[in-house]
Amino acid sequence: MLSFIIRRTLIIIPMALIVVTLTWGLVRLAPGNFYTGEKKLPAAIEANIKKKYGLDQPWYTQYGMMMSNIIRGDFGDSVKYQGQSVNEIITRHLPYSATIGILGYLLALLIGLSAGTFAALKQNSSFDYGSMSLAMLGLSVPNFVLGPLLVLVFSFWLYWLPPARWGGIAGLILPVCTLAAIYAAYIARLTRAGMLEVLRSDYIRTARAKGLDEKTVLFRHALRGGLVPVLSFTGPALAALLAGTVVVEKVFAIPGLGNIFIQSVFNRDEPLILGIVAFLSILIMVFNLIVDVCYGFLDPRIRYE
Amino acid sequence: MENRTSSCNNRLLALFLLWTTALGLVGCSTSASSKYFGRTSPPSDNVLRYVTGSEPETLDPQLPDGQPEARIFMALYEGLVEYGPKDQQPIPALAKSWEISPKVDEFIFHLRQDAKWSDGKPITANDFVYSLRRGFSPETTSRTAGLGYAIKYSEDFNGEKVFIKKDGRFLTEADLEPTPAKPSTPFGPETEFRKFMQSPTRLTIYGDEKKRTKVLDGDEKLKALVQGAEFVPIEGKDIGVEAIDDYTLRITLKQSAPYFLGLFAHQFFRLVPQHAIEKHGKDWTRPENIVTNGPFKIKEYRPYDRLIVERDPNYWDAKNVHLDRIDFYPVEENSTILNLYKAGSIDAFLNHTVPSSWINEVRQYKDEYLDFPEAATAYYSMNTTKPPFDNVKVRRAFLLGLDREALSKFRKITQPLYGKVPQGSFPDYAKAAAKVGEEIRNEKGIAADAWEKRYKFDPETARKLLTEAGFPVVKNGDQFECPTFPVDRLAINFNTNENNKSVAEFLQAQWKRNLGVTVPLKTMEFKTYLPFFKSLQYEGFAQFLWSGDYMDPYTFLSLQYGKDNEGAAGFYDPKYDKLLDDANVELDAQKRYELMARAEEYLMEQLPMIPLTVNATNWMKKPYVKGMYPNPGTLLPWKFVYIERNPAKWDKDVANIMNVPDAQVDQQLADLVSTQKAAQK
Repeated sequence: MLSFIIRRTLIIIPMALIVVTLTWGLVRLAPGNFYTGEKKLPAAIEANIKKKYGLDQPWYTQYGMMMSNIIRGDFGDSVKYQGQSVNEIITRHLPYSATIGILGYLLALLIGLSAGTFAALKQNSSFDYGSMSLAMLGLSVPNFVLGPLLVLVFSFWLYWLPPARWGGIAGLILPVCTLAAIYAAYIARLTRAGMLEVLRSDYIRTARAKGLDEKTVLFRHALRGGLVPVLSFTGPALAALLAGTVVVEKVFAIPGLGNIFIQSVFNRDEPLILGIVAFLSILIMVFNLIVDVCYGFLDPRIRYE
Repeated sequence: MENRTSSCNNRLLALFLLWTTALGLVGCSTSASSKYFGRTSPPSDNVLRYVTGSEPETLDPQLPDGQPEARIFMALYEGLVEYGPKDQQPIPALAKSWEISPKVDEFIFHLRQDAKWSDGKPITANDFVYSLRRGFSPETTSRTAGLGYAIKYSEDFNGEKVFIKKDGRFLTEADLEPTPAKPSTPFGPETEFRKFMQSPTRLTIYGDEKKRTKVLDGDEKLKALVQGAEFVPIEGKDIGVEAIDDYTLRITLKQSAPYFLGLFAHQFFRLVPQHAIEKHGKDWTRPENIVTNGPFKIKEYRPYDRLIVERDPNYWDAKNVHLDRIDFYPVEENSTILNLYKAGSIDAFLNHTVPSSWINEVRQYKDEYLDFPEAATAYYSMNTTKPPFDNVKVRRAFLLGLDREALSKFRKITQPLYGKVPQGSFPDYAKAAAKVGEEIRNEKGIAADAWEKRYKFDPETARKLLTEAGFPVVKNGDQFECPTFPVDRLAINFNTNENNKSVAEFLQAQWKRNLGVTVPLKTMEFKTYLPFFKSLQYEGFAQFLWSGDYMDPYTFLSLQYGKDNEGAAGFYDPKYDKLLDDANVELDAQKRYELMARAEEYLMEQLPMIPLTVNATNWMKKPYVKGMYPNPGTLLPWKFVYIERNPAKWDKDVANIMNVPDAQVDQQLADLVSTQKAAQK
């Protein structure tokens, strides 16, 4: 197990560097520059900017400089938001995304797991149909529709909650609910499917035959197996949520990382793009590793050599 | 089981769709029934909550070129002059008065003696000298420095050029091409620096050896002249900015530039604090280090969330700053901004923000919605270097084949644009243009009504012109066809955006109907589009938006000036340049406008672009926000703004806001302007 974790950890860094290199290439291929605007810059000013950022150097020198900085953990300063370092921007805006992301996912887990489990236990009941239909609806309604709808009801009809912007618990409710809806739906369906499969398996029959009470069968045996699909979904989902969800952040004007990531691409803010991409790729790989490790605990059949 | 679930889902989905439609309908009808758009009650504190649009790039006023930053800088920094609240014309700020040399190539500013930085340090003329030298310094990498290039040697300093010294003296332009020496007329105190400024313009050349060799290789005469010379780098001290004494500043231009005074209100010319910059380096704009000199100073800054500024007691005119605080919120999503406004969480928001789907709804709130012409225009440039648009007849055919009144009606918030300069922003220029138009009409002997209609929708003439250009337009049933027009090579190009797309589709349909030509549409992401269109990689049409940098028609006319101009049509015409040059050396304002109007008329004959619309301000403010006007650039001098708590005095019918007197604003403005008026006498 330990050697598995070490092996996987060691691979994360070179993988992230490959991702950064590819991204760098793509950014360089994209037309336009961080300083191009509607108004043409005089040649002298363009030359000054190029000189300042080393853009007058050959590409391999630029790549070498970029890589040596990144290996030292320094992504440099944003070229758009001058005077702000990439590391500072990421650490400043991650908490916003992480807050709504984690809260949203917890809410989704709460709703999804309970609805999915109950639906599986009461298969073909009206609860099963009702909750699964609702889940289907949750999956089909994109959050750029759900968000404004919630705003309409809770901000303009009831005047209970603010329509947007960060601040206080009241401001969190709508974005968290918007975010949770689709994940709750997905988790509910995964849980239901997983549970249905597990409940029919031999070891559950064995557990029941042993005379274990239904609660123990459910929580000690069935749920563990039934959660494996949810777990494999959780890794990448949580990584994506932590890193920001562009649509919800835009609709509710939340200063999260997702919004900033998209803007950085539009701005051709190379250091910021590379910083966020590196951070995201490491995040996703770490979460996948955690998920893989957790499999071992949930499903005794999975063993790592 | 699967089937049952899915049919159940379908029914639910249908129900849901019905529900959302109902919500939409109810939403519209409830809001329209009240007098104001959403919640309307003044904030409990004396605060203005304003959405600025995108997050400011930096709080250093000399670096960015965007409007969201410009508005924030107007709260934090001040320069020699400020934009007037209604017309955006310069009003006194740190300079209480000024004098302009007869040739409009020198300015002397008399500064206030009671102005201070936010940390209490007095402001003197040396602060201006420092700020401008810093702004033009190549290390600062200001993107707006180009606006000030008319200041003597500033362009050379910014471009890292050098003076050429030979045999103990600096070479001048006269060494290259003998020109009669221009006599210097006295203006202000005669100083050593002024003698240098008034001496014949020195020759300059690139400091970088590679670039210099390239220039010299292409110019034998210069090469011979430079042989054995010494190169002296141009420094900040060489640019035309001089502190005559602590409170008198002189700025010298390399040529007459009658539009230049208005530029001094631009963010590039606002003061930056030498003491803070030297102490903190690039970190000087951090809230804990920043020193400002505007009516407000920073209280709290949380990037992407809020920038809160409070009244600065050290500001020289603090007693006339009515707001205690402004909360700037960076929000970019237009619907979100409207939601915040409707919920009463903000009091006003930036221009161009009401989405077209909301306009009919919002327009009913006559006390809040500001639809005024902007000093900003939309064009389609045509690539005149490639056929068929190298033929002026083709260009004209596409102009006349387009109903711009219909376009404006379709866009709901714009006015048709018939020339290069937007109508509505420059009333004096409009008068001059009418006069010149009449003269040209008489010269050419054209009937009055034909003259009036010369650029307006005329499909008949358009088809005739296209046929004359070699692309016959034929009638087929009730439709027109132009089978030989090479549409497969051409496109209407624009950057991806819902509005741009709807305009392009509208024009495509118009030209199809009127000329029988269906030009394909081509769209791309903004930063991809810019180089594509600026470097003339397109064929056909390219959408172009241009907003004025200063309040003078020249900011629009200069777009096609010079060889390497911004017009992105491949158009260059020395005759047009000559007309503009002649205008800019004319010192009488009205005559200058007339000469410019001639240039505009000439440009419209050459027609490198199809003017489409004059943009609209398109923003809202709550009726209790007063002293805030929809000026042509939405550049708001914040110290005039106040919150009116008495509903009887709230703004009504804002279409008339520019003409309704406001005693407080009018008095404040009159007091400010009085120092300059007194000096002029």
